[in-house]
Amino acid sequence: MSTKTNKSTADRLFEVDYYRVALYGTLVVMLAFFLAPIETGIVTSFKTQTAVAETLPFLPAGGEGFTLSKWNTAIDVLSRGLLNSLAFAVPATLLSGLLGSITAYGLTLVNWRGQVAVLTLFVAGIFIPYQAVLVPLSKFWGVYVQLGKSLGFFWATTGISKDYAALIELTVTHVAYGLPMCTILFRSYYKSMSTEMMEAARLDGATLRKIYQRIVFPLSKPMFAVVFIYQFTQIWNDLLFALILVSSSSSPAAPIVLILSGLGSSMEGTDFALRMAGAFTAAIPTLIVYILFGDKFAKGVAS
Amino acid sequence: MADLTLDNVRKVFDDGGDDIVAVDDVSLDIEDGEFLVLVGPSGCGKSTTLRMIAGLESITAGEIRLGDRVINDVKSQHRDIAMVFQSYALYPHMTVRENMSFGLEESTDMPDSDIHSRVEDAGADLDIDELLDRKPGELSGGQQQRVALGRAIVRDPEVFLMDEPLSNLDAKLRAQMRTELQHLQEDLGVTTVYVTHDQTEAMTMGDRIAILDAGELQQVGTPLECYHQPANQFVAGFIGEPSMNFFDVERQGTRLIADGWESNTSFSYPLSEGTLDELGDTTDLTLGVRPEDIELRTEVEGDHAFETVVDVVEPMGNENAVHLQFDLEETHPDTFTATVGGMTSIDAGQPVVARFPEETVHIFDRHTGEALRNRELDSVETLETTI
Repeated sequence: MSTKTNKSTADRLFEVDYYRVALYGTLVVMLAFFLAPIETGIVTSFKTQTAVAETLPFLPAGGEGFTLSKWNTAIDVLSRGLLNSLAFAVPATLLSGLLGSITAYGLTLVNWRGQVAVLTLFVAGIFIPYQAVLVPLSKFWGVYVQLGKSLGFFWATTGISKDYAALIELTVTHVAYGLPMCTILFRSYYKSMSTEMMEAARLDGATLRKIYQRIVFPLSKPMFAVVFIYQFTQIWNDLLFALILVSSSSSPAAPIVLILSGLGSSMEGTDFALRMAGAFTAAIPTLIVYILFGDKFAKGVAS
Repeated sequence: MADLTLDNVRKVFDDGGDDIVAVDDVSLDIEDGEFLVLVGPSGCGKSTTLRMIAGLESITAGEIRLGDRVINDVKSQHRDIAMVFQSYALYPHMTVRENMSFGLEESTDMPDSDIHSRVEDAGADLDIDELLDRKPGELSGGQQQRVALGRAIVRDPEVFLMDEPLSNLDAKLRAQMRTELQHLQEDLGVTTVYVTHDQTEAMTMGDRIAILDAGELQQVGTPLECYHQPANQFVAGFIGEPSMNFFDVERQGTRLIADGWESNTSFSYPLSEGTLDELGDTTDLTLGVRPEDIELRTEVEGDHAFETVVDVVEPMGNENAVHLQFDLEETHPDTFTATVGGMTSIDAGQPVVARFPEETVHIFDRHTGEALRNRELDSVETLETTI
């Protein structure tokens, strides 16, 4: 025993642990595998049309082949969509998170009859495919609730184009369809909360609203991070509802995904560099959200 | 401040069609400023009773009154009751100060400055003034316990409810907190209901104790009443550590004969006239004697002494718990316990004579468990004066 543990450091340095070698080897290969498309995309977005055709996809182009013009064009074309998307994705994310948290509180930490039935509806809501509701959805906003008409005074007084009613429609739709998932996520979190703590708060004289406001809500921060990241990515990247409710990328209210889908394709062929630059521009907000809530997200997932 | 009355309070839980009676017509009168301990084994309904007083559990039948006010349908928020939980139930995201202010902020219109000074005062009383700006996660169990207590005290409620507040503490701290809690309650003079399964806590802390078993109230009385004059066999066995020894006996004439024992050490216990009168005509009985009342001798003297053999000795320093056996053969391996002074030298296997003085024995009806005869309390007093 003692002779084994007393091996000199020099000896250990030269010992080869084959398991470790294989492990690190695999990790490096995996890293390359996952990073290669991103690297290729970034490199391509800085290439001219000719450079894209003449250089290897994953190698950067130098001198003549290097250009920033694709990024300029992408940002120019997409900035309208970027703002539109933010205009509905941010409120929809915040609202669905907040409403989900309140709903879960009511369904988990408050006792009343018929709770299970309501909860079942929420669970069922998760399993309804978006495709199944497309027709009723377009009919709802197109025929029954016409925000362009009913909010006529608003568009008239502010001078904002009626087309922007689509952003309100998108917000409401995304909140409605995100709510079941948010509720279930919060519910699982609230179920682990101490009931004695809630009882202590009740005995301390706090009302249901106050218990939520002063105890449950502040303790939900890690779960809010999870829900915000999840919802924001979901809503930001959603193309289906955008296509149904806005339909044309030429609309002033077109979300970024709608404009992005037509970017760089023309009669002359596909402009790969422009498409790459556009894709990265569209991805930046989701990256920012991950960075902002990342540490809390880890905490929330762990709990 | 007000007195708290429980009038035939009943709680039935519905367990998938089966009704489970958790609390069975419990009636209690807790006087203003009194410290009442609710004690019983786990599952006896003591916590449910407490939760009904707090309003955390609905009342199936009966009435709970605080002063003249019936509080059955008053929400917890408006009962003016503070409770200390076993898990402390502190708000983890708030500092100690915020934890303690919370109740005052929510239940009163008190200005911030008054709340602040009340929290400071309570903090000083409980010796946690240094900790006011820390969060519960940074405190030790004992400190968290004090904060939980502080949170109840600052509210200055009509009634304190405590649900096994000391059971998460280590033995030493628990003993210390026991006396501290008692002093605190005396100073504040707030009516207190304290739930515990620990009979030591019940004995030492309460003005009165109420013993519950299977949802039914067994006895309410001062700790010494319950100890020396138990209403039934359950109370006799529950209160006291080590617990009372019980022997199933049958009365034959003026003697108690051990049931089914026909060995050479046959147990025969003669009774005096007075005792016989108390027994009436019940013949199936249980004889009870407390370990400290058993006298150990070397020779059989008189009628109440029996030959036994020491099975195990548990030395505790101040006293020895001696486990004795009547019969070394396997037919009756049951042991009973006697306690003797810590300086008495006694070894396993040693034959000794155990005497059960008649004035100290309890006799119960074996079928109903009811106490037919309890020890005489005047002998306790004379003993105390001789010390």
